[in-house]
Amino acid sequence: MTTPILYILDRLQGVFRAVGADYGQLRAIVEVKLTMDNRRSIVSLGRYGKQSGENNSNFTRILGIYTFVGGLISLGMLTRSDSDRMFFPLTLQFSYVMSLCAMTLISDFSSVILDSSDNQIILPRPVSSRTLWLARIIHIASYLFAIALSASVVGVLIIGYRFGALAGILFLIMSLLAAVLMVFLTNVFYLVLMRFISEEKLREVINYFQIVMAVVFYGGYQLLPRLMDTETMITEALEHQWWHFFVPPMWMAGAVEIVIKPVIDPTHLLFLGLSLFMPFAGLWFMNRFLTANFTQTLINIDQEARPSALAQAVPSARGSGPAWVERLSNLVTTSPLERAAFAFTWRITGRDRKFKLKTYPQLGFGLAYVVIMSIQGQSLGSSGFFYLFALYFAGIYVMVAQYQLGLSDNYRAAWVYGSAPIREPGDVLSGSLKALIIKLLTPFYILLAGYILFRYGTDKTPDVILAFFNSLIMLISAALLSTRHMPFSVEQDAVKQNNTARGLVVGLVLGVVGFSHYGLTLIPYGVICAVPVSAVMFWVLFRQYRRTSWTQIEMG
Amino acid sequence: MLPGGTFLVSFVLNLTESYVTSSSVIELKDLQKHYGSTHVLKGIDLTVSAGQVVGYIGPNGAGKSTTLKILIGMLPDFTGEATVLGMDVRTQALDIKRRIGYVPENAALYDTLTPMEYLQFVGQLYELDNAHIERKSLDLLRLLQLADHANARMTTFSKGMRQKVLLISGLLHNPDVIFLDEPLSGLDANAVVLVKEIIRQLANSGKTIFYSSHIMDVVEKISDRIIIIAQGRIIADGTFAELQQQRPESLEQLFAELTGNDGQTMVAEEFIQALNL
Repeated sequence: MTTPILYILDRLQGVFRAVGADYGQLRAIVEVKLTMDNRRSIVSLGRYGKQSGENNSNFTRILGIYTFVGGLISLGMLTRSDSDRMFFPLTLQFSYVMSLCAMTLISDFSSVILDSSDNQIILPRPVSSRTLWLARIIHIASYLFAIALSASVVGVLIIGYRFGALAGILFLIMSLLAAVLMVFLTNVFYLVLMRFISEEKLREVINYFQIVMAVVFYGGYQLLPRLMDTETMITEALEHQWWHFFVPPMWMAGAVEIVIKPVIDPTHLLFLGLSLFMPFAGLWFMNRFLTANFTQTLINIDQEARPSALAQAVPSARGSGPAWVERLSNLVTTSPLERAAFAFTWRITGRDRKFKLKTYPQLGFGLAYVVIMSIQGQSLGSSGFFYLFALYFAGIYVMVAQYQLGLSDNYRAAWVYGSAPIREPGDVLSGSLKALIIKLLTPFYILLAGYILFRYGTDKTPDVILAFFNSLIMLISAALLSTRHMPFSVEQDAVKQNNTARGLVVGLVLGVVGFSHYGLTLIPYGVICAVPVSAVMFWVLFRQYRRTSWTQIEMG
Repeated sequence: MLPGGTFLVSFVLNLTESYVTSSSVIELKDLQKHYGSTHVLKGIDLTVSAGQVVGYIGPNGAGKSTTLKILIGMLPDFTGEATVLGMDVRTQALDIKRRIGYVPENAALYDTLTPMEYLQFVGQLYELDNAHIERKSLDLLRLLQLADHANARMTTFSKGMRQKVLLISGLLHNPDVIFLDEPLSGLDANAVVLVKEIIRQLANSGKTIFYSSHIMDVVEKISDRIIIIAQGRIIADGTFAELQQQRPESLEQLFAELTGNDGQTMVAEEFIQALNL
């Protein structure tokens, strides 16, 4: 998409010159950034995943999904017979665009926005703060516009078909303005954050924010269709309340309503005014006030990172990782090597942002999914079968974590496994897996089990215990069946993720285990008797895993 | 006094003034810099004239890179005065940047690009003509034996190869003053000799070179002037011969002594003892 963007920029160069940027430099920076995005396996674009060669097919695929979901949301607009009742569907549509943009900006582009690699490369060159800032905004906006366009393209067609081309075009413009507005709001969000917390903290905060966002959005997708069922809310022509003027998607919706109803009254004019004025005011505000400090803030990011790293390194050098981790590792491990691997895995899983980002949202999804499904109280949720199914969620999500355990950005440090005299690598693997079980699986499972017991009654306790051991068996089987790597020894992108195959096998195992469990519930005392069997089986498999030899391990 | 006399005096004064500004390429007066509560530079005074090769050395964390960053206009929030080519670093940073070259440490470049693409990009930031950059880049890459790799992505490049590309990117616009942060790190022995010679000849053609380094024997050989800083202060300044006159050892020993790190032999002994425990 580099060429069309540059083409559009060339048409607009007068605008950039007018706001005080050097167009030649701006174009060069944007071009280079887009080129690099296309080549890099975009770590910063997280979910857009890895890609090789000179294409962006993953991004295209994501856009396809956005188009599809956007289309589903737009269908709501087809079913409304009456142009009076378009306000809510329109609001929904713009909310979709805006939340996609916000989510992308916060989760996937945070590293692009806070990227300090430009410091060494671009800042020593004669590039003004404004030019650099504009180039970065354009770089980000080009992705956002693509997202906004794909999210609203079906809506544009539907509106255009039903209410005429003018309405369609207005809708399109409003979608793009929504994207601009989100750029502004996110920028303000980051700058406010940066005022109050240091860079290192900021990355941490954003990391947790991403995790929460991921869970919220997942929950939102689950809940939204149920909210939409409340027909009354949609079909009734909405009375405008005062607080509607504080909800940006409603501005856009109101503005579009002017053409489709058609209506001109103070309320709608105010909506139109807000939707036109705010994005441009935001741009003006950013250009006027935020650019001046922009490069300075960037440099400070770099500077602050160092001393704080030093300050932290000193206390943590001598076992600041709480002493109870040491004690715990003494308790659950049997050899020094296993102990080392346990403590090592425990610490890294708590600190490596990428590991946290890849695993914690999954756990959150799992919990949200179970709770929502059980509340929904429909066929699946109320059947005596569901709680069993839910209990195995913990195992499934921790399997993802187990898979992540082999990966790290610091994979180069894995030379240490090669140079150290490790005869039995199985000890390292088992220590690492034990840490995962105790740190992630157990607490998550207790949470889940607590909820299940609370909702379905304490007589399910034997099931809970059996399911725990079965989850352990599933986890260890996954570890036994997949390629074994030393902990944190493989580059993130290097592993070909054959997730589909893994997913199928896991699904099969889950099915077998789940149905046998269900079968046992039908036999009196069946579950209780199965517990020791399951426990012994886990122990045998774990011993097997611990006997892993060097030949079975694949080094990155 | 004749009215013409005043005119003449002020003319001569103007001349001297412009002579002073053009001959002292870098001027620092009581330069201080804080990062939060840490006092990194505690008053640096320095004048460098055109055509000098200045080696700026000091232990880790002494403030070398900070000084360089201030000089190239990346850190405007310092106290004291700093001018480069007679221009104030704080207010005329862009004009300064057009006429200086900077080669950062730790091989920071966009490594998914090819050398040609990267150099093209850097050239565009200096608003150079594309065809001109291309010709020049190819020539320079060829001279540093990177011609075969000119169109390969730099992800696979060794540190030395990256360093060469960085060096070219810092010199592409033919700057008057060149700031180099650890210019020789990662280069192989032949390349070190080549780069040393390039630095020498750049200085001969009237360019000023200001570089930081850890490799003492290189500093010894190519610097017209050596400045040693420790804990944010200049503790020695002069030609190698001058510094040697004070103490007739090698620069390495001198450096250790001045920066308060003598007795390395003793530390080494203790190190061995600790190992044997």
